Amino acid sequence: MKIWTSEHTFNHPWETVATAAWRKYPNPHNPAVIGTDVLDRKVVDGVLHTHRLVSTKWGFPRWAQALIGSAKICYASEKSEVNPSVKKMILKTVNLTFCRYVAVDETLCYTPHPTDPSKTLLKQEAVVTVQGVPLNNYMEDLLTNKISLNAGKGRQAMEWVICKLNAEVKDFTKSTDEILNHTKKSIDDITSSAKKSMDDISQKAMKSLDDMQPLRQKF
Amino acid sequence: MNSIGEQCKKFKDDYDACFNAWFSDKFLKGETNNSLCEPLFKVYQECVKKVMKEQNIELQEIEKDLLGTNSERKPPSKKS
Repeated sequence: MKIWTSEHTFNHPWETVATAAWRKYPNPHNPAVIGTDVLDRKVVDGVLHTHRLVSTKWGFPRWAQALIGSAKICYASEKSEVNPSVKKMILKTVNLTFCRYVAVDETLCYTPHPTDPSKTLLKQEAVVTVQGVPLNNYMEDLLTNKISLNAGKGRQAMEWVICKLNAEVKDFTKSTDEILNHTKKSIDDITSSAKKSMDDISQKAMKSLDDMQPLRQKF
Repeated sequence: MNSIGEQCKKFKDDYDACFNAWFSDKFLKGETNNSLCEPLFKVYQECVKKVMKEQNIELQEIEKDLLGTNSERKPPSKKS
């Protein structure tokens, strides 16, 4: 068993980081994650509980694939809790695919930085256990290194999402104005065309009344 | 972002968009009622559960509580 831990500070408030965490994938910095699906989600006592299925493609060296099998797509189960009142987001991931030999339990915890609440502290822990295959100690080292490498990518991935989110917010203010203007314009259009058709109707009605006059005179 | 089922992608995108808006605009501002996206979630859920069944992705294995139940493996009793 190998335990790996790490801490990282994001120069963004907790709310921004928590929002970005949900939108972390798809991400060019972490192309291994190819899909996420929400299996269950509920709010209990003000805490949001989510269970997700995460699909990943791990590129293991060929010799390692020979030992643990070449699962093309690996599935992991991620359970998370977001408590907005104490500003804490915690995600625990357990891999499902190579359950027989390899267990990777990973925990991520986002909280406001204790000395600077405008920043967010990420605490990360991974426990790697490889059992029942040859060279298991070596395999554990290999996986732990891989996690360490991926953690760096994960942080880059988060910064990338936050940057995208900020751009979206700017875009959003712009587009809201556009939408409002557009709506106002279409309402004006509708009003004028409605008015026009009302005029048309009354004109036509008048006309048909006029048309009926000579008919009435005939009888 | 992909879903495990190609046919669920559209439902997932619609639901995710709703959830992301709800999360930042409502939940983080203290509103805990999550019924807003519930109809979209139901449609998406049905699709995902069906695909998981087809692809034999089992979650029960790790969900199951073993310790302290009858299924917990006990050390073999010593032969006297």
